[in-house]
Amino acid sequence: MSRARFLKISTMTDGDYDYLIKLLALGDSGVGKTTFLYRYTDNKFNPKFITTVGIDFREKRVVYNSRGPNGSPGKAFKVHLQLWDTAGQERFRSLTTAFFRDAMGFLLMFDLTSQQSFLNVRNWMSQLQANAYCENPDIVLIGNKADLSDQREVNERQAKDLADKYGIPYFETSAATGQNVEKAVDTLLDLIMKRMEQCVDKTQVSDTANGGSSGKLDSAKPEEKKCAC
Amino acid sequence: MACEFNLNFLKELEREAVLEVLYRDQMVRKTEEERIRKLKLQLQQLRWKGARNVSHEYQERSCARCQKSLGLLMNRGAVCNGCSHRVCSECRVCLNPCLWKCTVCYAHGDVKVKAGEWFFEERAKKYPGEGRHETVGAKLLKSYQKLSKISVVPPTPPPFTEAAAGSNVTELRQSKSFNKSVENLFLSLTTHIKKISKSQNDMADRRLLTTDYGQNVERRKQRRSQSDTAINITSRMKSTPSLQQLITGAQNDHEILTKRNCKEEEDITTSPTSDAVFCDGRKHGSLYSLNSTCTESGNFDKANITGEIEFAIRYIFKACILEICIKGCKNLAYGEEKKKKCNPYVKVYLLPDKSPRSKRKTAVKKSTVDPEFDETLKYKIEYSQLESRQLQISVWHAGALKYRVFLGEVVIPLAAWNFKDNSMQLFNWYQLKAKLEKPEGDLIQYSGELLVSARLSVPAQYKNFQFEGKKDQGVPNCQLQVMIFGAKNLPMLRCAGMLNSFVKGCLILPDQAEVKRKSPVLKKEACPQWKHLFVFDGVTPAELQQSCLHLTVWDQSAFSSSDQFLGGAKLGAKESFGCTDLVSQSVLQWQEVLHSPNKWMDFTLLLHSHKENFKS
Repeated sequence: MSRARFLKISTMTDGDYDYLIKLLALGDSGVGKTTFLYRYTDNKFNPKFITTVGIDFREKRVVYNSRGPNGSPGKAFKVHLQLWDTAGQERFRSLTTAFFRDAMGFLLMFDLTSQQSFLNVRNWMSQLQANAYCENPDIVLIGNKADLSDQREVNERQAKDLADKYGIPYFETSAATGQNVEKAVDTLLDLIMKRMEQCVDKTQVSDTANGGSSGKLDSAKPEEKKCAC
Repeated sequence: MACEFNLNFLKELEREAVLEVLYRDQMVRKTEEERIRKLKLQLQQLRWKGARNVSHEYQERSCARCQKSLGLLMNRGAVCNGCSHRVCSECRVCLNPCLWKCTVCYAHGDVKVKAGEWFFEERAKKYPGEGRHETVGAKLLKSYQKLSKISVVPPTPPPFTEAAAGSNVTELRQSKSFNKSVENLFLSLTTHIKKISKSQNDMADRRLLTTDYGQNVERRKQRRSQSDTAINITSRMKSTPSLQQLITGAQNDHEILTKRNCKEEEDITTSPTSDAVFCDGRKHGSLYSLNSTCTESGNFDKANITGEIEFAIRYIFKACILEICIKGCKNLAYGEEKKKKCNPYVKVYLLPDKSPRSKRKTAVKKSTVDPEFDETLKYKIEYSQLESRQLQISVWHAGALKYRVFLGEVVIPLAAWNFKDNSMQLFNWYQLKAKLEKPEGDLIQYSGELLVSARLSVPAQYKNFQFEGKKDQGVPNCQLQVMIFGAKNLPMLRCAGMLNSFVKGCLILPDQAEVKRKSPVLKKEACPQWKHLFVFDGVTPAELQQSCLHLTVWDQSAFSSSDQFLGGAKLGAKESFGCTDLVSQSVLQWQEVLHSPNKWMDFTLLLHSHKENFKS
């Protein structure tokens, strides 16, 4: 296991990427955050339960294709993902929540076979609101262990309703089978990239406004239309 | 092993686990920082490209980006909304159908996006008081560092740490630099104890213990191959910035990046902030002091040398200008340790010229050990000259009055520098070093060149006389004629760059008798052309064979009685002279003159700045 992991990292130590995006997985202890991330980065499953000590992270490099305004394929970007894994155990809480503020998006996970872990999603949401970089960060809700259908305690409707209430996407995943794992992360990445584009558009415009006076901006417009590019 | 588990031990293990994660995270941050630095460098080069003609004034009717001239009616260009510069149609990037930016403004925005600035901006809204770019991981690493200093006692300290690991750790806090190393030591210990005990090779790990904890690149490699005891020691010796430095450095970078408006771009090349362009022996600017009496005579204090300096070097072949862009320093020692005071500035010499003419200085930054200078210092110098030069980049603390404290230096021999390779133009961090015991070692202190021509005038009847030691009994008195043409590259003593110079000649005969000559004073000339002939009468070739001629150049003092020594050169027989190369050369030249009577021989003599070596 460790061998594969280091091989992975060794190919990723260079700075040949366009964006560094930091995601963070959170949720109760034992919901499968570590195995989920392991499945995502290495496409492997480790059924053994090893409790995460405080904090950990994994890395993966992906290519993100931005879409143009009318859905046309845009530029492809290399994205370096840093996927933070947090301990679900209460005793590490102060440490793990501290790391929330460095993440750009969140994988909020619960265990489909544990009603309690689902009930705690609300608590995690409020933790996020308090500690994330902004009031409404990008989050996806993930119900894990979907493969254990015979032990299921949370039905899809319930979870979907909660996700809708928060206005976030919901996925039922299985780290054991790999079901929806990639899709969930990709969705979150997409949300973040969209937010980034919005922020950037705003700053591009405000930069422009700062550069010339606002009056000048108007007068300059006819000239812009003649732009030869 | 299992029965030895207790709560403390477990905690310690947990801490180790978290620390390992934090170190890995530090690696990621470092890669990211390096990536952003490169992006900024590309941006910088784009800017450099826009202002290729260094000294030429900015022309109104030309594209601010590619210098293409613009017409009044056709191809007139348009003003960029970002920077208000007029640019041609090719130097634009369209953002949407009715908005474009010039290439530099676009790249500027692009760097911001790729550096994740949007995130930091958003976060700063929620946490306005906190470090903009500091991550929790970085903070934690710092706090662990402190924690480990107090609470962790290494079970098997290697011998050399014993003194530091003693009971008086708290007392040591008085001394910052020492304390730092102790901190690092303990930190390394806590994280490496296991490895040390595992390792068969104590020597290999000793290096590891003394290195900064920023060294985790190698550390990680090591983790990958823990079974492998053959660890590459040398690879670890490369210094890497410590975490705190990294953070502050990155922060400053970002701040500067965001602060800097596109409008300021041309400042970098056309009017450097330090105003240190120096061309044709003239100096424009106020940071030019007569001579560094304090700092060059060794009359200064030395701090413990810590920290690094970041700069880039490039040579502009077209303009024959050497540019040194001083970005900043980090983790400098305090100039005044007790007062925790540090007002750093950077001074550059193009050795071996140690004259004020070769000196460039940045502005002084107040109260910081992580100064950001962002200044470009320039030298007008022929490319061919570079290989004999060394860049001496030193950092100083400017205290009250003339109090100066040496904070460290970097010396770069330019002979090995490949100016044609673009990657050599990158910004790099360099570890600051202490001054060498003998500052210049075998380096000659260059202070210009003297052009002379000499001949041994032998009476006509002895025209065919061949000089041989034994036969010179019958040779009559000859005449040694030395034509002093002129000097160049003399040290400048005044801001105006003018000298009132003259030359003294002193012929030292074998019996130690001295024959002296003096040229007239040439007023207000930076490159004086005396064209003055020294004539030494009544000398025999045999005498000259063992004589030595000292030529010294002086600046006449208007008020005080003592003239200022500018440089000296020797021509003649073997005599105690510091550098062997020069002895042989000077002897050879002398022999040439003596062996070719009545023939003028031209020499370019290098002037040296050690007054004590010359008689006048």
